[in-house]
Amino acid sequence: MGIFITIAWRNLLAARRRSLFLTVAVAIVTAFLVLLNSLTAGVSSNLVSAATTLSAGHINVAGFHKTKPSDSSPIVTNAEPLRKILQEQTPGLDYVIDRHRGWAKVVGESASIQAGLYGIDAKQEGVLFKTLQLAKESEYKDGGRDQAFGDPTQLANKGTVMLFAGQAKRLGVQIGDVVTVRAESPGGRTNTIDLTVVAIMRDVGLLSSWSVFMPKKDLLTLYQLADTTTGSFLVYLKDIDKAQDTMGELRTILTKEGYTLMDYRPEPFFFKFEQVAGEDWTGQKLDLTTWKDEVSFLTWILTALNTVSFGLIGILFAIIAIGIANTMLISVRERTREIGTLRAIGMGRKQVLLMFMLEALILGAFATTVGALVGSLIAISLNAANIEVPIQAMRAILLSDVLRLKVEVGQTVLSVVVLTVFTGVSALWPSMRGARMQPVEALQAIE
Amino acid sequence: MQKLMTGSLVVLALLAYALPSMAMDTAEMTKILQTIDDRQRSTGDYTARVYLEQKEKAKEDLVYESMIYRRDASDQFVLLFVKPKSEAGKGYLRLDKNLFLYDPTVGRWERRTERESIGGTNSRRSDFDESRLAQEFVPAYIGEETLGKFTVHHMKLTAKDDADVAYPVLELWVDKDTGNVLKQQDFALSGKLMRTSYFPKWEKVFSESKGSEVYFPKEIRIFDEIEKGTSTTIVFLSVDLSPLPANIFTKAWVESKSR
Repeated sequence: MGIFITIAWRNLLAARRRSLFLTVAVAIVTAFLVLLNSLTAGVSSNLVSAATTLSAGHINVAGFHKTKPSDSSPIVTNAEPLRKILQEQTPGLDYVIDRHRGWAKVVGESASIQAGLYGIDAKQEGVLFKTLQLAKESEYKDGGRDQAFGDPTQLANKGTVMLFAGQAKRLGVQIGDVVTVRAESPGGRTNTIDLTVVAIMRDVGLLSSWSVFMPKKDLLTLYQLADTTTGSFLVYLKDIDKAQDTMGELRTILTKEGYTLMDYRPEPFFFKFEQVAGEDWTGQKLDLTTWKDEVSFLTWILTALNTVSFGLIGILFAIIAIGIANTMLISVRERTREIGTLRAIGMGRKQVLLMFMLEALILGAFATTVGALVGSLIAISLNAANIEVPIQAMRAILLSDVLRLKVEVGQTVLSVVVLTVFTGVSALWPSMRGARMQPVEALQAIE
Repeated sequence: MQKLMTGSLVVLALLAYALPSMAMDTAEMTKILQTIDDRQRSTGDYTARVYLEQKEKAKEDLVYESMIYRRDASDQFVLLFVKPKSEAGKGYLRLDKNLFLYDPTVGRWERRTERESIGGTNSRRSDFDESRLAQEFVPAYIGEETLGKFTVHHMKLTAKDDADVAYPVLELWVDKDTGNVLKQQDFALSGKLMRTSYFPKWEKVFSESKGSEVYFPKEIRIFDEIEKGTSTTIVFLSVDLSPLPANIFTKAWVESKSR
């Protein structure tokens, strides 16, 4: 085998220019693939982070309460006993918090937005405040300073609200301004509350475009709800990958504890209003979901990114495959007499095939490794540069206001292996042509 | 001292004269509300062609033309958009106590609340439906006032617990001479003023089934008090009280209008 590798390596060196062109081409495709993979991994990571920070726990224990069959109030009544069960019996639990939820119109100085309200207890939200960053004034105010103002911990005080930069810009408000939140109480009556903006945070993609945080007590007042109720318990596990299994276990535990559970539907709670309103029951039912279910409406972003990546890489693969096959074909033609000689001194067809295949594989392995290293380096550098995404629509799709690229070692190694094998496979047909040559015909060929 | 006493007596005499005209007991106010409701009630069927316009700051105006079909005796209601072309076929239908919205572009019905705002404007189903002030609210008299050139009864109405209304408190200015509502203000539970509506002109058509006239506001101008600069104008272009076919108040009929 060693001798074949040596021959293949020498042949590659002998055709330096051709080998260099092929190496560069394969390396560029590999680097591109690694960059696209790191972009998808970055968006995926943003999605997990944004979802589990803004809108969901690893597992969500929420539900609907109906005083009459046509109701569909997304609340859990008598919440404290449920919290105790979750804290004491959830396998692999890290911590539990609860938030009230609502949907309302937020009216500012210059415009209004429809927003999902989160009524929070600031004491429970250390992770939220730690994860989100205050936006610079210039991000939400024309001619604003490059300095951040506000303090999210002030949400501990009544009559306060935390917005995101995109929302503040649309509403035309800044720190200290008052917004009016207008909602419908469960009885259908219009209610309002005036809240002072105490923090404006940097956008984190689509989810932050409609998420508004306010003190739980204010949300209870707005919706005329008792303080024994909550909207959802957000259960955080030590290992997020166990969310689905743990949710199954929690369903069993809660059923044993006497709670009535809704059938599992892997969708966010706001997709379920109409179905619940159409069901003929009254009272309380709990609804358990994972973080993935609560942001399932965003998975199209990952699907779209993967599809685009797949399409682009497919086209580049095809071009590279044609290039490799053509180059190898030329190589076989140029070395016809060499093949004839080798065959005449006893080299078998399989060995000739192996010799050419090894050339392609060595070139592929080298080029893809270089490409992967270059791609990873570019991705890591871009990520470290914290490049701001200037277009709002792109921010929404990338689920972040800065470009996040995440290099995953396993994914990168897989790219190298797949592309190397692909390079080898591309050389199969020309190699077979070389191997099929008769020694006499090959020796007679004119160089 | 004598002058002071004389002055006090004059003030008391004036108050004694003025108070009966300024105060009004609940029965009298309820009667005014019943009159407003009764005059707008159509015992038979009701068809109206309505122009709807919403102006919003920094947004394009929304303009619709729609048909309203009502059968008040059985609480049936249909609002069907006919213009512009992009909205034609979209419709609201009330079945029992539920309001449904049909969107022909997706071919789906969606359950909405009775307090649903119509077509993204500041108008609500109740602006087009029969008036139920006496049934849904408890009145309190604020006083006799002047509104422009009109002398009006100014009343505060608080919604009854079981009433399915969007605004729990209303203030109403009713023309003392004609009994027409001239102005209405809607308040949220928090006490915040949400919208002010003006009814500059009322018209009436004769109803054979009722044996008397049915009143309707020719125009309603609604001003959003939270989002300043947002206003909605509703113009009742025509009202017809002829009997309607029975199948109008069905999902199938609404769906058929967009085919």
